Amino acid sequence: MSTAEPFLRARGVARRFGAQVALEPTDLEVTGGESLALVGPNGAGKSTLLSILAGALEPSDGTVERSSDVDVGWVPQRPAYYERLTARENLELFARLEGERDARAVAEKLLAQFDVPADRPASTLSVGNRQRLNVAIALLGSPRVLLLDEPSASLDPGQRKRLWEIVDVVREEGGAVVFATQNLEELDLHATRVAVLRRGRLTFAGTPADYRLEYAEEAFS
Amino acid sequence: MTRVRLVLTKDLLVLRRSPILVGLLIVYPLLVAGLVGLVAGYGSSKPRVALVDEDHLPQEVTIAGHTFQIQRAIDEVGKNVHLVRLSPAEASRQLRSGRVVATLTVPPGFLAQLKGGLSPPSLVYQTTHGGIAPRVTQQLQALVYALNHRLQSAYVATDLRYVRLIQHGGRASFGGVSYDVLGLDRMHALLQQLPRSPQRDRVSEFARIAAAALGYTGSLLGATANPIGLERAPEASRSSLLSAQVQAYALALTITFLGLLLAAGALAAERDENAVGRLARGLVSLGELVWAKVLLAAVVALALGLAITLVFGVIVQAGGVVGGEPWQRLPLLAVGLALAGASVGALGSLIGALAREARTASLVAVLVVMPIVFLGLVPKQVSPAAAWFSDALPFEHAVRYFASALYDASPWTTVLRELVWLAGLGAIFGGLARLASTRLLA
Repeated sequence: MSTAEPFLRARGVARRFGAQVALEPTDLEVTGGESLALVGPNGAGKSTLLSILAGALEPSDGTVERSSDVDVGWVPQRPAYYERLTARENLELFARLEGERDARAVAEKLLAQFDVPADRPASTLSVGNRQRLNVAIALLGSPRVLLLDEPSASLDPGQRKRLWEIVDVVREEGGAVVFATQNLEELDLHATRVAVLRRGRLTFAGTPADYRLEYAEEAFS
Repeated sequence: MTRVRLVLTKDLLVLRRSPILVGLLIVYPLLVAGLVGLVAGYGSSKPRVALVDEDHLPQEVTIAGHTFQIQRAIDEVGKNVHLVRLSPAEASRQLRSGRVVATLTVPPGFLAQLKGGLSPPSLVYQTTHGGIAPRVTQQLQALVYALNHRLQSAYVATDLRYVRLIQHGGRASFGGVSYDVLGLDRMHALLQQLPRSPQRDRVSEFARIAAAALGYTGSLLGATANPIGLERAPEASRSSLLSAQVQAYALALTITFLGLLLAAGALAAERDENAVGRLARGLVSLGELVWAKVLLAAVVALALGLAITLVFGVIVQAGGVVGGEPWQRLPLLAVGLALAGASVGALGSLIGALAREARTASLVAVLVVMPIVFLGLVPKQVSPAAAWFSDALPFEHAVRYFASALYDASPWTTVLRELVWLAGLGAIFGGLARLASTRLLA
């Protein structure tokens, strides 16, 4: 683990939905330059942990500390934007909310970068285009931490490659990436660290090599 | 505030892209307002009353020399109640079930007592308990007043026939025996033919004065029977459809319907679209999100309310309706429209936060609108509890504000009081909506 000041630090964060425990008390740190993969079977608590780290979900217990100068971008598993607005309108709206000075120019740049149809209502976009718009919105405000919840699940191989090229740039420029995945190939290619969640509990944290050695077969069982 | 404005602008843009929805949201409450007006108008004028005839009244009755067609007389005097003839048992059953609001019984011997004229007979009525019973009593009193008025006319006419007989003489029959009555006029003439004497002159003078005095009897009897009359002056007001009250109700109902539905649906839609999580990460707080929905309701209420007022005013002006449209009061009305919209929007936001899903929120909002409106229509005298509930909701305050702002000569007291109510209720519902909005993140 890096000794640098972490961008995000979760201390004992837990989440319950009524009587159901989605995430048991969990400690986690995310530092600049690393790419942390969250793996585990469906319902393990990956999305819950990412939502809490993103600030989109209040933890039932524990706290999340964020470096004051670090913006966090969030790509939820289900796209988060307004269906009746076009891709351009969504990007401009969220750009203004992020405090971008020239929201229109930023939106244009991202539309070109992600090759999303600009002027059709988001509800009419294909699944792949919707996910690309979802990721594009997360990149507004030039976040140094990017939280992605199974970002490539609905993308074709070409789109997937382009997505990771963009995401890897964030890490290479000193930012941090946390992504949930069910795809072992992505883990090999893009993760510098792996955390395994099972039934809401963090059962492993280490390098991809250690993970492959000890937990790969078990994690998805 | 910039963030609130951005979310508000987005909501208005989304709304503009749903023209069918907007059309329905406008037409539906106006339609309901019209129907409510019709039902309320009918309900207030025609309560259903059972007529129980235990005296077996004939079709025709002759009283004081006048012949009355019973059914026609009932139809003529029963303009404010819908009288239905029922048997005693059926009337009693329908009164218990509330099918009729009162029973009016003609007791046995009623007609004989009426014809005898020695003591006035009574009709007997029963009403349902509470509710509109006082109003039904008034309607029945009006019914009996109208009957008495017709009978008095008949009695007065009969009395006058006898007076004229005494005055001018002629043939008359009493108890089946025919008489030739001399009359004061002829008595005076006969006395003039007798030899003159102080006694003759005195009796003759009495006959002359008595005949002259009896000449005033007709108008005196009429005045005695009806000391105070009531005449309907020519029309000097607008039709009820264009009345201040209908305009106020139409505005309040439209705003309540729109505000509740829009705010509830829009807030819950933030969760449906999964946007609330993205916003709540520091882009837009939950409080700001609730504010945006409250303002959405206020802006739409203001725009739509002014549009309705404009249309209403154009109709009033084009029709040359008495009183015209008080255009100078529009700014005062606009303040109320915006605040009423905000207050209703706060309640809608609470519904949206509690329901969490747009479809559920919209359904709940529609279900909630009608009780809110009907509570506002229940008079305080009929149900104090309904009035208290209504006071705790924005609708009735909006109605009072609009009616006063548009048509009261000195509206300030009412307007300020209702403004405080609307602002207070808006603050309470808005605060509750903010507390409940954490459910959107769950």
